[in-house]
Amino acid sequence: MLNQEFKVPAKLKTTSLTLLAIGIVTLLAGVFTLLMSHDQMSQNRFWAVLLQNSVFFLLISLASVFILSATSLAQGAWIVSFRRIPEAIGSIVWVMAMIAGLVLLTIVWTNNHHIYKWLEDGYIVHNKLNALKNFFLNRNFFTIWTLIVLGLWSWFGIKLRQLSIKQDSDPKGSTKTYWLNFNYSAGFIFVFALSLASTIPWLWIMSLDAHWFSTMFSWYTFASSFVSGMSMIMLWILYTKRHGYLGHVNDEHIHDVGKFMFAFSIFWTYLWFSQFMLIWYANIPEETIYFKIRMHGPYKFFYWINIILNFVCPILILMPRPNKRNYFVVTLVAIIILTGHWIDFYQMVMPATVGENWHIGWFEIGIVCGFIGLIISLVSNKLTKAPLVPQNNPLLKETIIHIS
Amino acid sequence: MHLKYESVIREPLVDGNKSYHQVTEDICATIENKPTKLWTIGFLISASLLAFGMFSVTWEVYWGTGVWHLNKTIGWGWDITNFVWWVGIGHAGTLISAILLLFRQGWRTGVNRAAEAMTIFAVMCAGQFPIWHMGRVWDAFFVLPYGNTRGPLWPNFISPLLWDVFAISTYFTVSLLFWYSGLIPDFATLRDRAKTKFRKAAYGVVSFGWAGSAKHWQRHEMLSLVLAGLSTPLVLSVHTIVSFDFATSIVPGWHTTIFPPYFVAGAVFSGFAMVQTLLVITRKVLNLQEYITIGHIEAMNKVIVLTGSIVGVAYLTELFIAYFSGVLWEQEAFRLRVLGPYWWAYWAMMTCNVVSPQLFWFKKLRRNVWFTFFMSIIVNIGMWFERFVIIMALHRDYLPSSWSYYTPSWTEVGFYLGSFGLFFTCYFLFAKYFPVIAIAEIKFILKTSGENYKNKMTEYEDQTNEHFLEEQTHHH
Repeated sequence: MLNQEFKVPAKLKTTSLTLLAIGIVTLLAGVFTLLMSHDQMSQNRFWAVLLQNSVFFLLISLASVFILSATSLAQGAWIVSFRRIPEAIGSIVWVMAMIAGLVLLTIVWTNNHHIYKWLEDGYIVHNKLNALKNFFLNRNFFTIWTLIVLGLWSWFGIKLRQLSIKQDSDPKGSTKTYWLNFNYSAGFIFVFALSLASTIPWLWIMSLDAHWFSTMFSWYTFASSFVSGMSMIMLWILYTKRHGYLGHVNDEHIHDVGKFMFAFSIFWTYLWFSQFMLIWYANIPEETIYFKIRMHGPYKFFYWINIILNFVCPILILMPRPNKRNYFVVTLVAIIILTGHWIDFYQMVMPATVGENWHIGWFEIGIVCGFIGLIISLVSNKLTKAPLVPQNNPLLKETIIHIS
Repeated sequence: MHLKYESVIREPLVDGNKSYHQVTEDICATIENKPTKLWTIGFLISASLLAFGMFSVTWEVYWGTGVWHLNKTIGWGWDITNFVWWVGIGHAGTLISAILLLFRQGWRTGVNRAAEAMTIFAVMCAGQFPIWHMGRVWDAFFVLPYGNTRGPLWPNFISPLLWDVFAISTYFTVSLLFWYSGLIPDFATLRDRAKTKFRKAAYGVVSFGWAGSAKHWQRHEMLSLVLAGLSTPLVLSVHTIVSFDFATSIVPGWHTTIFPPYFVAGAVFSGFAMVQTLLVITRKVLNLQEYITIGHIEAMNKVIVLTGSIVGVAYLTELFIAYFSGVLWEQEAFRLRVLGPYWWAYWAMMTCNVVSPQLFWFKKLRRNVWFTFFMSIIVNIGMWFERFVIIMALHRDYLPSSWSYYTPSWTEVGFYLGSFGLFFTCYFLFAKYFPVIAIAEIKFILKTSGENYKNKMTEYEDQTNEHFLEEQTHHH
């Protein structure tokens, strides 16, 4: 009963490959109609959409590595029952990293200053204040730091899963791998603090609005990716459970994941609001300009839908205890949260790149389908490669009797 | 009945061979015995500090705030530094009792009572500073939105200083209720064991007639859950609003969006350091090493290295964004912090808060009691400097003729020492007359995490996973 081997249901395989195919066709169509068009805005749209999606899907996959590390360090038992799922998601970070890296570096090395304004020749000359920025915002630093970080993320994602699988074949009662995993987790958290929790969102996203700055920006991006990552894990647990796997994962575990979705939706709102309120209150033009286009301009709709999907819905729907234990409700909220945070990333990227010419059309939707298809096919494939239960984990028995 | 089982990989939370009765005996012992000499000396020192503080404050009220070394440029000095410092210290208790309760951290039961008490005393100390800073303290009630005859309500509702009044008074009330409701069953235990009439009557009154019936326990649990739910957002809101006092302004070095979460992390950081300072001593003096184990100390040191690193990332973020923003004022403010007249405060802060806590990455050091005690003091010094560094952003404003340098006067120092007096006087009284460890809550985890009970769990450890699962999921 505990030693379950996951087999990819045929329907899932077809769905994921169809979505992936839609994505590839969309991408090709995008190349011909948008990238090769003479309209600057179409070209911008092409790159902005790829940038937003590749970064978003990379970060929500990376969230699994973070969740594994954090719970390993905290010695949480509740996650052990389904930790093979975040492990599988974490181990595909390298694919997402390659895609995001390719997109980002292509933008930078083709000197696409319509996306990153700081790439423009003579950017410094236009504005003396930018001279300093260019120590940070320059092609070489961008490339080197991006490659180092992507490499480390990918490596840790693979390593944590390897260690966990290695434990399966360890002698019973051996805790060596357990503590090794503990140490690697600490290493990842350190890397994470210096990359996603600080430098990377400045470099990849905040620099789209090259003049604008906010110290909160990276933590806010982190919160967004964390809560989406948790929701993605929730969807995988429920899917595998529905197909008869993970029998030992019960309402208590689901409830706990639900609590995280609930709590970190509020946490995201806390960071979002702190950033917004302090800028609004101080009312300094250099800072408020960021919200001007979002709150009053063409992005008004996204501004409000962002709050509704990411705050109002989770807090109201997930507040009652029974809702966190109802599989339909948590699935619904997980989808709401993922959509909401996709929109959050959308409104981070689009205003600075395509301005008022935003679209949610065939290209945006097609690319999203592609990424979803890619993640589903990669993760489901990874899940078949190892038993769904980490047999020798010293916390396995605790997780079986876990009460949320 | 839910199985009392915990993995062997976790160390016991209660050492030694304990029964429910033994737990009661161990924890009630200090309360039922006569105070020791050490306690009396400590109490007298604290009380005299408090007396000196009262003298300093009286002096200040009599002569006016002019006796402090504040001036036109530096309108906030030690008073607000100490206010923020104490409020920050007051964060660990509620974090332990509310958030760690939600995270199901069993080790909180060994330390939550003392930490919550500390929270309450720290918030009491914090409250003194803005109140006495008002100078004309008889008008202190002006901060409250009372109905008056002057037309609209008096306070300025869009000022974060007013939000502070609400945030801190709410926090104090809820923390006090939470702490007190946890104390009720323990007071009843003391009442039932009391040998003198006076003691029986006194503990009888404060235990509200607790009889320990199932209904009482049920309501008690319900209340704890509700209060935990209320406290959780409060842990974040209080220091968030304290940070708004600075961040809503347009003062360079103060106006930065990361302030709210970074203040909260710093508050938890300093709060845990203070818990360590107190508990390292308390466990030794009251002989409670079996309840506040090295494992507890290590867990708290982990929280310290985590929050210290979060704070470190925030410091570096601030520095970086000041440079990256291209705002000259912002850059100058940070240049002055690092290299200006108050450079020593900045580097003291960096060393104490960011660099030295990194030593807690080493397990050996996390589990060393002496090192922990030393570090807890270092962290508290560092966190005091953090607030001082932030507030001293005031020393050079836009007008060079008004640039200034601030050192405190004896009344300000006396006031600060007095707050220690208040804090420790309360803590000594608490440690003598209240159970410093939550008796009922320790009993709750004893059969899962007590050493003698854990030794018997080998039978479960030896079972195969399948057998264990079968037994636990189908037998009831």
